[in-house]
Amino acid sequence: MFNSAVLEVTMGILVVFLLVSTVCTAIREGIESLLKTRAAYLEMGIRELLHDEEAKGLARAFFNHPIIYCLYPGKYRPGSTKRQTLQRGGDMPSYVSGRTFALALMDIVARGPTTDAASSSPELAPLTFESLRQNVGNLDNPQLQRVLLMAIDSAEGDLEQVRQNLHQWFDDSMDRVSGWYKRSTQWVLFVVAMVVVGSLNINTITIAQHLYKNDMARAELVLMAERASQSAPAQDAALGQLMDLELPLGWDRGYGAPRLKHWHDRDGKFELWNDVFGTVLGLFITVFAAMLGAPFWFDLLGRVTAIRSTFKPKAPSSDPPAQTSAKNALNAGARAQTGQGSPSPSGGAEPPPDDGDACDHPIDSETADEDLPPARGGVMPS
Amino acid sequence: MSFALLWLPRVLEQAGLKVAEVPGWENRGLGDMGPVLGILCHHTAGPKKGNMPSLGVIRDGRPDLKGPLSQLGLGRDGTYYVIAAGRAQHAGAGNWLGVRDGNRHMIGIEAENTGLASDPWPEVQIDAYQRGVAAVLGHLGLSSERCAGHKEYAEPRGRKVDPTFDMKAFRSKVAESMNGGARPPLLIPALEPKPGAAGAAPRPTLRRGSQDSAVRLLCAALELPETSSFDATLEAKVREFQREAGIVPDGIVGPKSWKALDARRE
Repeated sequence: MFNSAVLEVTMGILVVFLLVSTVCTAIREGIESLLKTRAAYLEMGIRELLHDEEAKGLARAFFNHPIIYCLYPGKYRPGSTKRQTLQRGGDMPSYVSGRTFALALMDIVARGPTTDAASSSPELAPLTFESLRQNVGNLDNPQLQRVLLMAIDSAEGDLEQVRQNLHQWFDDSMDRVSGWYKRSTQWVLFVVAMVVVGSLNINTITIAQHLYKNDMARAELVLMAERASQSAPAQDAALGQLMDLELPLGWDRGYGAPRLKHWHDRDGKFELWNDVFGTVLGLFITVFAAMLGAPFWFDLLGRVTAIRSTFKPKAPSSDPPAQTSAKNALNAGARAQTGQGSPSPSGGAEPPPDDGDACDHPIDSETADEDLPPARGGVMPS
Repeated sequence: MSFALLWLPRVLEQAGLKVAEVPGWENRGLGDMGPVLGILCHHTAGPKKGNMPSLGVIRDGRPDLKGPLSQLGLGRDGTYYVIAAGRAQHAGAGNWLGVRDGNRHMIGIEAENTGLASDPWPEVQIDAYQRGVAAVLGHLGLSSERCAGHKEYAEPRGRKVDPTFDMKAFRSKVAESMNGGARPPLLIPALEPKPGAAGAAPRPTLRRGSQDSAVRLLCAALELPETSSFDATLEAKVREFQREAGIVPDGIVGPKSWKALDARRE
């Protein structure tokens, strides 16, 4: 039956996915800030765009052009001509705007590839449409000459339009670079997610079972979900929040791990599904969920929370005591089943709350009005 | 080390409520609370005398039960006494929307009331109760459904009777307050709107700690030896006078109290 428990379990799982993918994304960004793969891909993309893959002519001139040269420290060293998943970008810029690209290229065409006293002299004629078109022939790069001529001719005498054409051409080809980077990210995320999910034993199936059987844990996660759907968890806090959820995570408590003890109970009989496939499947679901990225789960969580809020809020529980104790017995049974000895902080295994409170007890020492602490507030500011 | 609920007085004061911090409240508690999932409303069933006679017991506990016995106390004048920032023993066994360990997950509010028919809830206290619950739930991002009466939470059913008012109506008032549907809180003006009966300048509102020449006027009106500082003893006398005069016994001398004092003199 599709009841609110199913929806709440879904919300809980979504929170876990959101937190796990946030952690993985944070680790991926950490790796990226060390390797600067994006910068390497950008540099390679520009070399391909300028038809100078060895960086002997135009590409070298482009990266040594003052307007580009100031975007990175050190000297220009062309990267490898072969693309790798974990490529080092070194000091190369990770972003070049289309406008800067177009300006640099036009300047190289009009004033020559080298920067020296001649090419930077104010005595030179101003850059005009005609001078630009005439100088295209000096490039010694037929493919690019053709591209430039097309950009210049379609601008019909407008220098600004030439710049915009080149800008557009650059942006189109940069989509390819983004594609490379996306693919690299997917692979890196896959490995990162394998390590994170594997080391923390974040098993979707086990967590779903735990949530379905455990009202208390579910209530806590639903609350967490309502909050997380308002504002995405911060990257540096996500791991802490995940561990605070009091879910069956980690290998030490025996959750979801191959249950060696149970092999003995079953006369050493090995159950392929329970002992291998179930565990592997549960872990892989989490791995692939983590690869989808935090924004995806944040979005989905927001939608599911919205669906839930359209339901009427749950009526106060009016379980007769008998039913409640049956439920407790169910919880106890579930715990016994997972072979979990240590009491979990949520659910039926929490330490029995004591019955004390301040209500309905005779008070032997009254606090007189004189002994009350001073109050503030309640008066309009003067 | 102080506990997690350090935001309580700020949130309550921002809701326009009177707040008094019980010294040491930041470090009081039986450890820290877990994630807060709701509020549990109680009444103290304490004596009828005074504004918050149960405060000491809630703070220190009983011989058989270690205090604090709730995070907040609510006086008859609608003042919130912030007693503990940590865990308190107020809930006992029960269940509300899946929350079974109330001490760990619910903030307890003990409102001063005998629980008897002879002790109707003052309007100012009920109003503060609803506004305070709404402010705390709002701060936590929880819905009004998450506030329960002790009688609704406690198991077995019928183990507890507090609070005596209707919790469903209470929750709908809380929801109204959270949605901004309630009227803004009534604050006491800082000055009398019109000059006093004697035709003198408007008298300022006085409360404990006030250092004003009008404190002498107050002493004279109450026929007390003259002092210039508004201390706890004077506050208790003012409360006593306010109780007799049938106005809110909060120890704050505002326009209504001045008027009542003038009436008494005539």
